Amino acid sequence: MKQLNQEQAKRITDRVIAFSKADECNVSIQGNRTGNIRFARNGVSTAGLTEDMQLAVRVAFGKRVGTAVVNEFDDKSLEKAVRRAEELARLAPENPEFVPSVSKQDYLATQTFMASTAAIDPDYRAEVAAAAIGAARARKLVTAGFFTDNNRFSCIANSKGVFGFQEFTDLSFTCTARTEDGRGSGWVTRSAVDARRFNAREAADIAIDKALRSMDAKALEPGRYTVILEPAATSEILGNMFSSLGARAADEGRSFLAKKGGGNRLGEKLFDEQVNIWADPWNPDVPVAPWDDDTMLARKRTDIVKNGRIASLDYSPYWAQKTGKQATAGHGNMIMAGGSKSLEELIAGTKKGIVVTRTWYIRMVDPQSLLITGLTRDGTFYVENGKIKHPVKNFRFNESPVTILNNIDELGKPEVIGGDESPFQMVLPPMKVRDFNFTSLSDAV
Amino acid sequence: MANFDFYFTRLMYESGDWDVDIRMPSNVLNSLVEYTTLRVDPVERMVALSDPAMLQAPFCYLAGHKLVQFTPSERRNLERYVRGGGFVFVDDCNHDIDGLFAKSFESEMTKIFGASALKKIPNTHRLYSSFFKFDGPPTTGGELNGWGDDLVHEYLKAIEFGGRVRLLYSNKDYGCEWDYDFRNKRFLAVDNTRFAVNIIQYALGA
Repeated sequence: MKQLNQEQAKRITDRVIAFSKADECNVSIQGNRTGNIRFARNGVSTAGLTEDMQLAVRVAFGKRVGTAVVNEFDDKSLEKAVRRAEELARLAPENPEFVPSVSKQDYLATQTFMASTAAIDPDYRAEVAAAAIGAARARKLVTAGFFTDNNRFSCIANSKGVFGFQEFTDLSFTCTARTEDGRGSGWVTRSAVDARRFNAREAADIAIDKALRSMDAKALEPGRYTVILEPAATSEILGNMFSSLGARAADEGRSFLAKKGGGNRLGEKLFDEQVNIWADPWNPDVPVAPWDDDTMLARKRTDIVKNGRIASLDYSPYWAQKTGKQATAGHGNMIMAGGSKSLEELIAGTKKGIVVTRTWYIRMVDPQSLLITGLTRDGTFYVENGKIKHPVKNFRFNESPVTILNNIDELGKPEVIGGDESPFQMVLPPMKVRDFNFTSLSDAV
Repeated sequence: MANFDFYFTRLMYESGDWDVDIRMPSNVLNSLVEYTTLRVDPVERMVALSDPAMLQAPFCYLAGHKLVQFTPSERRNLERYVRGGGFVFVDDCNHDIDGLFAKSFESEMTKIFGASALKKIPNTHRLYSSFFKFDGPPTTGGELNGWGDDLVHEYLKAIEFGGRVRLLYSNKDYGCEWDYDFRNKRFLAVDNTRFAVNIIQYALGA
């Protein structure tokens, strides 16, 4: 299946909009070619390529909205999809929170496509698996992993003059290494837009090293410790916070940004001064589309937290209208500033603490304080006088990113990390944080 | 020496790990400053139990994970301090009534004060209302999460002389519960160090 280019995509969206008799018509075409290879027990278990293209059309008559999706692109099929959406819209009840679509937007292209990644082929994927498996076998470890690469395009258009088209590439890789007896576990994750910045062997070696070093873990008493959190330890925790920046939830008292007695915390200093977080679709490490798929609004570079202060909130079109504010485009990436120290240097400067490779099984406990619980995994180590002394048994933690970002002792050099369950592409620093709250022990490695 | 109403004395003893929960004293001292009008020395003092200087302390804290086996001079000073009107708060960091600290500490108490000296105090004891009101010893996060012996201890034990607690003994690991940077109290829905204020107020005569 051939991917569409801009001209082809525009021809299709123009046809769809022309077919529509509704007050407004929004079209989105998404196409992707995704390669994957999965390995386990030191052997490849599946590998393949999937290709798909879909067109979604959303129409509105007044405040009645209908949607239809189609994956055939001849005129007859396109018209059928439009008619179906219109029929559904006529049948739908009015949406009291309906806001009309945006008018023409200026989308400044972002560098989301890299030929090096688009060129990935089955041989490349096999080499990724071979690098991990070969390195693990050499050390009598058992490895499992998943590599996926994406070449896709996105096109959005509407009856008010919006048009955007862009191609994207990305890859992601995770690898777990275990000792044969199952007592040691290490893990690594990588993601990139540019395949030239990915090194499978370097990544696998990290998982392998952690697996070897995490055997014979000792139990440590739960409590509050200074911790060194790698980006994979904070990405899901912070991802929860990044998804909780909506003004509506804050104004309605449901979020951590709500103020007792009414109002929100925009402008307030909520975090340590070292905390600077922003979204920027043009960031070279984590480029994302210059528009938000949901609203079709053009994205901008936006400070989220500036020197510890809440610098902006997210306004949906409805809430912006209701409160007399400007609607904001949803963010696609999140970048957090850090220092220049490597993880090893943060460890060297720590008198007593725990290094956390990864957190997982993250669950929200209380949205109003952003209290989150989860487990450490795949390599948790005790540090004393600047050296890793021994692995420790994994912990359950109960902690809020608000507390974490108030207890920063030091930030390391930021790294690209894709979200596991978080929708953001992130650049996050490793962090040395005091008083991190471990509440109980976990038997899993 | 400056005129303080209270200073925090941590007792060092030779047999075990007395230097536990290092942030707890400054956290508790912060609470005394926040909740009371006591003139508080913000510096924790670490004094050997074998040193007669500990006899001057308004309050002493003793904790650990490991063996408690006092030297003759440690034993002598502790007995003199407790019988003479001092106050010691002893806390088992293991939260384990079958653990090494608990067994060996209780054995020492029997040796010094006799088999029946260390007794549970009722939940109506004055200790639980000396400043803030409690229904009994507050639970700790550690015990609710199964740390140590996986029990919730619903009592504290004490040795009393002259109708007053002179040695208060906990298996609840309060030291760990209060072991955090005092600036993080603002993130707690309920300040868990309030019970420490009760203990100290009681020790000072409340």
